[in-house]
Amino acid sequence: MIKRLPIACAITVGLFSLSSLALAYDADWKRGRVYYRSVCTACHAAQAGGSIAPSTMTKAQWASYLQADKHAKGKDSMKQYVSKAYRASIRSQNKAAEKFAEVADDELFEDVKAFVIKGAKDGEAPATCS
Amino acid sequence: MSARILRRIATEWSGGLLLAALLVGGSALASEPPPVRLDSTADHSKYKELQQEFASGPELTKVCLSCHTEAAKQVHRTKHWTWDFLNPENQQRLGKKNVINNFCISVPSNYAFCTSCHVGYGWKDASFDFTAEENVDCLVCHDTTGSYRKLPGLAGHPPYKDVEIPPGSGKIAKAVDLSRVAQKVGKTSRDTCGACHFFGGGGDGVKHGDMDSSLASPDKEVDVHMDATGLDFTCGTCHKTASHDVPGSRYTPVGKDKGGAHMRGKEDKSNPATCQACHGLSPHKDSGMAAKLNHHTDKIACQTCHIPAIARGGVATKMSWDWSTAGRLTPDGKPMIKKDDKGRVIYDSKKGDFTLGENVVPEYAWFNGKVSYTLLGDKIENIEGVTHINKLGGSATDGESLIWPMKVFRGAQPFDAVNKTLVTPHTAGNDDTAYWKNFGWEKAIETGMKVAGADFSGKVGFIKTDMSWPITHMVAPKEKALGCSECHTRGGRLDAIDGVYIPGRDANRLVNLIGWIVAGGTLAAVALHGLIRIVRRPR
Amino acid sequence: MERIYIFTRFERFWHWTQALLVIGMLLTGFEIHGTYHLLGFAKAHQIHGIAAWALIILWVFAIFWHFVTGEWRQYIPTMKNADVVLRHYALGIFRGEPHPFKVTRRQKHNPLQAQAYLMVKVLINPLLWISGLLYLYYNELAALGQHFDLATIALAHTIGAFLMLAFFIAHVYLITTGDTVGAHLKAMLTGWEHGEEKNPR
Repeated sequence: MIKRLPIACAITVGLFSLSSLALAYDADWKRGRVYYRSVCTACHAAQAGGSIAPSTMTKAQWASYLQADKHAKGKDSMKQYVSKAYRASIRSQNKAAEKFAEVADDELFEDVKAFVIKGAKDGEAPATCS
Repeated sequence: MSARILRRIATEWSGGLLLAALLVGGSALASEPPPVRLDSTADHSKYKELQQEFASGPELTKVCLSCHTEAAKQVHRTKHWTWDFLNPENQQRLGKKNVINNFCISVPSNYAFCTSCHVGYGWKDASFDFTAEENVDCLVCHDTTGSYRKLPGLAGHPPYKDVEIPPGSGKIAKAVDLSRVAQKVGKTSRDTCGACHFFGGGGDGVKHGDMDSSLASPDKEVDVHMDATGLDFTCGTCHKTASHDVPGSRYTPVGKDKGGAHMRGKEDKSNPATCQACHGLSPHKDSGMAAKLNHHTDKIACQTCHIPAIARGGVATKMSWDWSTAGRLTPDGKPMIKKDDKGRVIYDSKKGDFTLGENVVPEYAWFNGKVSYTLLGDKIENIEGVTHINKLGGSATDGESLIWPMKVFRGAQPFDAVNKTLVTPHTAGNDDTAYWKNFGWEKAIETGMKVAGADFSGKVGFIKTDMSWPITHMVAPKEKALGCSECHTRGGRLDAIDGVYIPGRDANRLVNLIGWIVAGGTLAAVALHGLIRIVRRPR
Repeated sequence: MERIYIFTRFERFWHWTQALLVIGMLLTGFEIHGTYHLLGFAKAHQIHGIAAWALIILWVFAIFWHFVTGEWRQYIPTMKNADVVLRHYALGIFRGEPHPFKVTRRQKHNPLQAQAYLMVKVLINPLLWISGLLYLYYNELAALGQHFDLATIALAHTIGAFLMLAFFIAHVYLITTGDTVGAHLKAMLTGWEHGEEKNPR
């Protein structure tokens, strides 16, 4: 029992610090901006019919769009396009994917989310494509 | 030892395997230093002092200064604060509050609007207290959230509550969350510098032509250094700032940096923002052309070849502004706005006619870094000709000049037709004389001149003016630098540049004439000789 | 008719390489000068520079060769028989008279020809060479405190180029004035020329 106590403590502390780390992630809207412009916009403008400015939707619309995680009218997942696997697949042609190759999926997703919410029609700084 | 513990856990606890896995993971983590943010030694969100609501900017600044005790006094010494600068070269009193330009013309009498780009709070008239430390605005430069903004009319304050701006427009500007912004302060960025410098002249890209919002997060095509997925320079990477004093001024620029690359440890007081400060004087390497290209550095500014056009980022810059056509109203007396087919404003009743341009080929001129201004009170010699708002020094022979690319901004603006001086009209404001509300030049200028403390005859005319802006930002990738034939040809980019021999453009006409006579004469002579031989050939 | 071997293998190599380089430099040089647009300034400049160095190296070898073989004596100016040769080009050639000068191993150029080549060697070539090197290195010289005006350098270089062009035109024409139209050309290609002396080999 005496031996178990420190272990239990270690587990508790470990779990707590892990969860607090996850909670503490502070989205980097600037990194999101670079990824959004270089990956999302670049592909949409070239292949998927025109630009997709964050300011075309409201914060609420963006939030529910990202929550639903349906890309291309539900054909695939939105999150896959910020995933490490996707970044690895395009990194030879895309400098943003190359630069952020090692960023955790969740973090990058939060970054992009922070940017579009900020740039939404009713956001802090509505972002259009110039 | 640990193996035995694990065995005991496995046997004694149900679900022990899972825990063991966690422990192994935990011990792997323990061998690494704990996670920490590496971009700063201070996380401002952890300061108790900042975890409160702030009613105003100055209230917050006091808290900032409780730790950063010297910061405000440092800022007080800078042009960003004083908007006042005595040019040591010619003793001209410059700075934003003194100069007149041919964009929005001048600051006095329009303080509350212009000072939305002042690094302070509350400069609404000449009574502003420049010694008050709490009036320094820390956030405008140190915001990282992108949510901090100052609005015209609020005298440098951000909106503390939701406000409709401009009044009656239906556009609501949200109150700034000072506490949140304060807890996330950080280093300056392209976004913070750009909040003012991208929007000089009253809109995105209007004034400079080489600075606009496309530089907030540019790709390599737009700016090889600021490329957000590449080198990712901030403004401060070149404008290397110490004690809040940002080097690289437009009032005293460096025309020709002969100093070479800056080195650590070597005392160097020269401007760190020049190209040469990093690249040195022989920047071209690894190419058969390198030696000859390096030869150009004694006459040609780097910018001339490496910034092939003005406004390369997709944002148009204003190229001209004619104030003399301002004031035309609709039949029912309302101001109007006309746009071109790209949706850009080309006429505004408040301001007159504009022309705009993207990817504009610069004009070129010898420039030695010396700038003199036409200031309020200076007599205008030739009212029919073009008055130079700023006159750039430089010549082929002074040994201090290089050939620089320029945005030359041309316009027509009001002046005092009797005293023959420039004027400072009162443009912005919700009162009886502001031009943008009342559309009467006489009253607007009378008010403005009174605030500026200058004589006004009451008679308004318009003069042509121009202003030169040396181009230095938006450096293109080297593949996009100008090729030889852009200048080494007649009618090329440097056609109007005097005092330098440019092969391909220049030739001695007499030598050319005699040369072609000699060569052509030889050809004619041998042709004739040959012809006679053929005719006289014995059969 | 006797045949003599007057142009050694090196001489022919030197001549034809030089011919190629000079033609190339004239073409690219006048493009750099702004006379016409053919390759584009950058390409013309690049080729002009490469050809210049090739020609300088060739000249170094040629000068060495001239001194080692004593062939430099071919260019000692003489007025002996110059009037006869001049009279031939002015009159005799139209009457189908044979060339008064007979090529020998010791004197393979007629007196006018030798003087023309001497002019090229002591006037035109050095003018082009020196002004060309100044053109390439005036910045380095300026750094050493020796300031040369680029316009003056360019002026000298241009004068040299026009003289070279005039020489080139006259030279190409005079090739055709041998016993037959192609005789001189053939000699420069094969080394063998009609003459009075027997083949020394």
